[in-house]
Amino acid sequence: MSFFDVVFYLFAAITVMAGMGVVLARNPVHAALFLVLAFCSCAGIWMLLEAEFLAITLILVYVGAVMVLFLFVVMMLDLNLVKLREGFWRWFPFGALIAGLMVFEMVWVLGSRQTADVTTAVVHAADYSNTKELGRLLYTQYVYPFEIAAVILLVAMVAAIALTLRRRQGVKTQNISEQVKAKKADRLRIVKMKSEPKQS
Amino acid sequence: MNTIKDFFKTFLLFELLKGMALTGRYMFARKITVQFPEEKTPQGFRFRGLHAQRRYESGEERCIGCKLCEAVCPALAIKIAVAEREDGTRRTTQYDIDLTKCIFCGFCEESCPVDAIVETRVFEYHGENRGDLYYTKPMLLAVGDKHEAQIARDRAADSKYR
Amino acid sequence: MMEWLQPIQTLLGPAWLPIWTVLKIVLIIAPLMGGVAYLTLAERKVIGWMQIRIGPNRVGYFGLLQPLADGLKLFMKEIIIPSGANKFLFILAPIMTLMPALAAWAVVPFNAELVLSNVNAGLLYILAMTSLGVYGVIIAGWASNSKYAFLGCLRSAAQIVSYEIAMGFALVCVLMAAQSLNLGDIVRAQHGNYGMLNWYIIPLFPVFLVYLISGVAETNRAPFDVAEGESEIVAGFHVEYSGMAFALFFLGEYANMILIAFLTSIMFLGGWLSPVPFLPDSIVWMFAKVAFVLFLFLWFRATFPRYRYDQLMRLGWKIFIPISLLWVVVVGAWMQTSYWLW
Repeated sequence: MSFFDVVFYLFAAITVMAGMGVVLARNPVHAALFLVLAFCSCAGIWMLLEAEFLAITLILVYVGAVMVLFLFVVMMLDLNLVKLREGFWRWFPFGALIAGLMVFEMVWVLGSRQTADVTTAVVHAADYSNTKELGRLLYTQYVYPFEIAAVILLVAMVAAIALTLRRRQGVKTQNISEQVKAKKADRLRIVKMKSEPKQS
Repeated sequence: MNTIKDFFKTFLLFELLKGMALTGRYMFARKITVQFPEEKTPQGFRFRGLHAQRRYESGEERCIGCKLCEAVCPALAIKIAVAEREDGTRRTTQYDIDLTKCIFCGFCEESCPVDAIVETRVFEYHGENRGDLYYTKPMLLAVGDKHEAQIARDRAADSKYR
Repeated sequence: MMEWLQPIQTLLGPAWLPIWTVLKIVLIIAPLMGGVAYLTLAERKVIGWMQIRIGPNRVGYFGLLQPLADGLKLFMKEIIIPSGANKFLFILAPIMTLMPALAAWAVVPFNAELVLSNVNAGLLYILAMTSLGVYGVIIAGWASNSKYAFLGCLRSAAQIVSYEIAMGFALVCVLMAAQSLNLGDIVRAQHGNYGMLNWYIIPLFPVFLVYLISGVAETNRAPFDVAEGESEIVAGFHVEYSGMAFALFFLGEYANMILIAFLTSIMFLGGWLSPVPFLPDSIVWMFAKVAFVLFLFLWFRATFPRYRYDQLMRLGWKIFIPISLLWVVVVGAWMQTSYWLW
């Protein structure tokens, strides 16, 4: 077993254990942190495949931004764990069925002939830039899907903001732009006057 | 025109730069730090520091136990007990000042008809145990004996104004 | 270039590579920690001078041993773990703050040859590492089991995440101009015949300001230090920490400051390039630029009053992000014309 394999199995083991942790952790915050660990070790595996752009973007986007917001929400929720666990055994067969189905599908896909011969990563020259290749592909061959996905995300964002935006009447708030715009001349008048003699 | 000027002023952070210029200038200004144990700020003759009890030149203590200082003390830091001495004079048997209560207002000094309780220029005193700053009569007299020359000079300098 | 190391290399055989790498890491981290220590002294001195004071001058000549004394003090102190705190996460949090701050140094070039690992996606790597720093804050606040620490962690984590976006867009401008994610190539792209005029600070001036100010906010430094706010609140997310665990938060903050200063000089101020054409490029310029940016950090702290939290968020979301986005478009259009001289 080469050094490469050792690193791969190490990352894979961490990923699987962290994935189990996400499901099995009692505390939702711990579960979220396990998910972070799973992302990080996944990024490690991608790095082994020389997909450094994807690996770093995974960390940057999912770990650095998405999971932070996720943690925010999970930490602030007042979760009743007992209530959440109530239906566990009732739904267990259903969950087990789906899990089994997914395992079966993955074995089927990964074990099929099309993917079976791609067992080792393609090794590139030292000056090969994964980032450049990805960019070239995204902006030539896949430019329409890429742009459409971007527009859909933008629409979702605008919609979310529009749904929550409301102007309430009679609420006293500060208008910060107004405050920032205030100048000395608007507020202060300097009056020149002679000093008056002391009143006695 | 003014709007455009303000726009550029805002985006070029003009006011922030002005503020930074000020602090930048002061960086090279003469420093006013007093290096305390080696250097000290000047003290006036009315400085109100550690309390002391004074004596007359004969060695007789000045305090006659009139309790005016106890009455005037806003922090209730003074505690006095009075008794008649063998020679028939009225003297204190107990004269305590709790320096942890004292606010160094100087009222006791002002109210004293015989200039017995005074505040000296001493301000670097300390206590290492609880109760160390509870000054009793012998301690106050000892402070007075030690600094009598300075105390007398300060009273003389202040006498014109009293 | 390292011929004199050849005999040691043959002596160690295959163990040479890991040992040499660890040695290189130590060669970066050790001076960095020294820099952090003396940055604290410099901060106290500079702020003292600006407030017409002298600053620390008792421990050693000119106060030069002050950082050592402070470190020793923190080292001797007890680490108090609050009751009900999650012990593992409580100890992990300061490590999570310091770790990314140090890991990011792997790709920072000091001059044309001196870089630990010459990665093509260096800029992305740095962005990813700095975005991990927020976990230290969040975990610290949550694991302390204290509402004050928790509120503080929410405040500063939201701040860090918000300013990261503006920072990211500012860097997008840089990588568009340099057409590379490699930090060394970014510096080389600023090389030209006119010295200072070839640096990206000229065409990218608005995003330079955005980057610098976001950098101050990102490291939770004054005037954006609502996390610490020593004159208003005791501290934010690290209120329950003491001793060396607390010191790690501070090491992380100052290491991040130095990192931001390095990145600013690499991406906008031409790295190791000389500001005038007739002087040679050298690592000295790099350190001079870094020292200048760090001095700016201290200068800001001595000058500006603290931002209110809502103003801080407004500045990040409503001003910096639009400006940097706009400049991405401007730079993109500008580069298509023949007037792009960089």
